[in-house]
Amino acid sequence: MMDMKDKDSNILDTIGHRDGMTVPEGFFEDFARRMEGLLPENPDAEQTRVLAPKTVWERIRPFVYMAAMFAGIWCMLKMFTLMSTSPVDLSIDNNKILTEALSDDNFIYDNFIDEINQNEIFDEMYDDSIGVDDFMEMDSLMQSPMN
Amino acid sequence: MSREIPQDNPVLIDRLRQPESCRQAFNEVMREYSEPLYWQIRRMVENHDDAADVLQNTFLKAWQNIENFRGEAKLSTWLYKIALNESITFLARERKRLSVSIDDEETHLVNQIEADEWVDGDELAIRLRKAVASLPEKQRMVFNMKYYDDMKYERMSEILGTSVGALKASYHLAVKKIEKILGE
Repeated sequence: MMDMKDKDSNILDTIGHRDGMTVPEGFFEDFARRMEGLLPENPDAEQTRVLAPKTVWERIRPFVYMAAMFAGIWCMLKMFTLMSTSPVDLSIDNNKILTEALSDDNFIYDNFIDEINQNEIFDEMYDDSIGVDDFMEMDSLMQSPMN
Repeated sequence: MSREIPQDNPVLIDRLRQPESCRQAFNEVMREYSEPLYWQIRRMVENHDDAADVLQNTFLKAWQNIENFRGEAKLSTWLYKIALNESITFLARERKRLSVSIDDEETHLVNQIEADEWVDGDELAIRLRKAVASLPEKQRMVFNMKYYDDMKYERMSEILGTSVGALKASYHLAVKKIEKILGE
């Protein structure tokens, strides 16, 4: 396992944390003195800021923004609710006018039965094996007096 | 003045925040911190004149951004970060100016060490500096802070933004590499 202890080697111990670097005599004192003259003006840090009094709008602005945000959220939720709970109703059961019309026999006869071609009825009857004789029989039955 | 990092002085920090006293307080900061910061920078750039220039830029940058220093971080940590960033920026600029790739940085730094006039003639120490120059930039910073300044890992972690575990591993690897180079 890797030894993680900070053991310096013998060579590093021999060197004894010396870096062998020097600086000119009085360098740091001169440097600090020279730097004092080099520092530019810094208005942000050096000038006291006088804060102007807030206007009414500046004071209420956060509340107005917050109210607008809540109103926006409410509108959005309302819109989502409407979209998700009211699908387009295609059923005729909920359509009063259509239901009333369909329950009226005259409406059916006036609008649908009359439009049926008589030949189509005969064709249909023929398909159901109802012939002319059956008609005659039905006529005679209807015309004969009731017993 | 000394190479030791000064303890943060709360009175000085408070004066830095006051507009009327901040310039005077910053002059004191420069007097207190110029030496420890200089040695950090010098060990990175390996040349006295360059180190002096980078130190000057460090204080100018700190002064320009003194408004951003709100005392949330330690003053010394903040200044160290600026100094190290300025050192790295300087090295990158030099590489670009001299068309030296990051892989040839070692050669460039060794040349700087050999050309450095401000040395005390300690051959072993210079050999160590050349060996440290072979380390990657971040590992070099870690080694310098730990070996030369005996800085605590927790403090290094604040300055470099690296976990204590990673710093320990980095220092360990740096020592192994240097041992190998010096043993050759």
